[in-house]
Amino acid sequence: MSELGRILVVEDDPRDVELTLTALDEYKLANEVVVARDGKEALDYLYCREQFASRSNESPAVILLDLKLPKVTGLEVLKQIRSDERLKMIPVVVLTSSHEEKDMLRSYQLGVNAYVVKPVDFHEFVNAVKELGMFWAVINQPPPGSAKKVL
Amino acid sequence: MVYWNDEFHQVHSPILRYGLAVVLVAISVGIALVLQAHQFRNTELPVLLLVIGVVTWYAGNGPAVLAVLLSSIAFNYLFVEPLYTLYVSLRELPYFLIFVLAAVLVASFSAVRRRIEDNLRHARDRLQIELEQRQQRETEVRKLNLELTARAAELVAANKELESFAYSVSHDLRAPLRHLVGYSELLQKQASNSLDDKSQRYLQTILEAGKRMGNLIDDLLAFSRIGRTETKATAVDLQQLVADVVSEIGTQTKGQDISWKIGSLPVCYGDRALLKLVLVNLLSNAVKFSGTRCPAKIEIGAVDGNADKSEIFVKDNGVGFDMQYVDKLFGVFQRLHRADEFEGTGIGLATVQRIVHRHGGTVRAEGMLDHGATFYFSLPKAKHPIERTVSAA
Repeated sequence: MSELGRILVVEDDPRDVELTLTALDEYKLANEVVVARDGKEALDYLYCREQFASRSNESPAVILLDLKLPKVTGLEVLKQIRSDERLKMIPVVVLTSSHEEKDMLRSYQLGVNAYVVKPVDFHEFVNAVKELGMFWAVINQPPPGSAKKVL
Repeated sequence: MVYWNDEFHQVHSPILRYGLAVVLVAISVGIALVLQAHQFRNTELPVLLLVIGVVTWYAGNGPAVLAVLLSSIAFNYLFVEPLYTLYVSLRELPYFLIFVLAAVLVASFSAVRRRIEDNLRHARDRLQIELEQRQQRETEVRKLNLELTARAAELVAANKELESFAYSVSHDLRAPLRHLVGYSELLQKQASNSLDDKSQRYLQTILEAGKRMGNLIDDLLAFSRIGRTETKATAVDLQQLVADVVSEIGTQTKGQDISWKIGSLPVCYGDRALLKLVLVNLLSNAVKFSGTRCPAKIEIGAVDGNADKSEIFVKDNGVGFDMQYVDKLFGVFQRLHRADEFEGTGIGLATVQRIVHRHGGTVRAEGMLDHGATFYFSLPKAKHPIERTVSAA
């Protein structure tokens, strides 16, 4: 018996969302995915505000975070998560197009758990997302208080 | 001081100055006569001397001489026995001579004093001019400084713009490309059964073009990063570096028969990571373009350069190139071979050139179609031979 952790995908591009969900679907991980379309929505979800006000107060098992987001950028979201006593244990994986050393450095300085550059090649992209989903939502034991579904 | 200067400058024209002498002597003679008429005795001598002093002071040397002459004559004529003649009696001669002597003395003292005053004034004027010039120079320097600061700020801004340009290329250009390739693959998977061979081939071409563009963007970004990263210069042992690169490349060319010949290489001064990139590019080019040869011969060595630069060469026996196109060799995305002959984006030699230029060196190439190519690059030498042991340690 294994457990499936909830994945929060923070991604503004609908096509990237679709590709990510397609990739996760191959491992049947897609039905436990929450999508936030910008940094503000991600923070709203994490703090159970506005349209997420009625959700149960469990943290996701992992956050897949894009860096370039409208309103609140990925780095700002990461900073906020790491400075909050309740949220700071959530594993965060940056999943970005940016190859820039500056972004990588800043992310690790802010305490990211992994930094993955979205590969241009579709197979590599699908594999990267699948493996991320598999590892963080199934293999990894998330911190206590995370949303889990018994398979 | 300023007051006195103003006094000097008031009396400029010679007519005025000589006129002043005549008028003042006349007035003083008049005063002396009036005083004498009122029974004051022996007042003419000091009064005339006073006037001579004043004339010398205000009107200069020429009027002073005139004043001395006029007052001597007036003194002789009006105040020395016998009166109303220019004749001087023997008894009065010393009195008259003393007057003339005293007049000359007063005049010369006054003149000396005036000359000193003049010199001081000139010196002060010179100082003033120098001060003004210095102030002017200072303003110029300050202006230049300001311009320099503005220029530096512009440069920083331009650099920042370039950086944000590269950043958005890396972010925004790759995303649509990923979608292009991703959705093409999804389509390929979804519709593979319903598509005919021609449509399959079209789809395959779209995919390959997308991937190729991805490689081009990545190469271009890496190329622009070379220009932006700071170099950390140390002594780099090229012998060691070449050995590392050759063994790295060797693991990727298992099937190819390559005979490597590595000569004695110097220690150079530069950024180790960037210099390694130069060697990786040149050596993998040599391997790539001699792929049709059996065995491929690749030689690396140093040419005896001048005192402060070493020149390194990489020579292969591959397909070579036409010297006619040698100046296109180091351009970005310039290729001398068709894409189906040899793969690659055409950024390798541009990268080599950029790195070598950043180190203050030069690149050149020699080649002949079907007879191999030789690439040369020069680098500043490490200052002391002892640095080889340091870097090796």
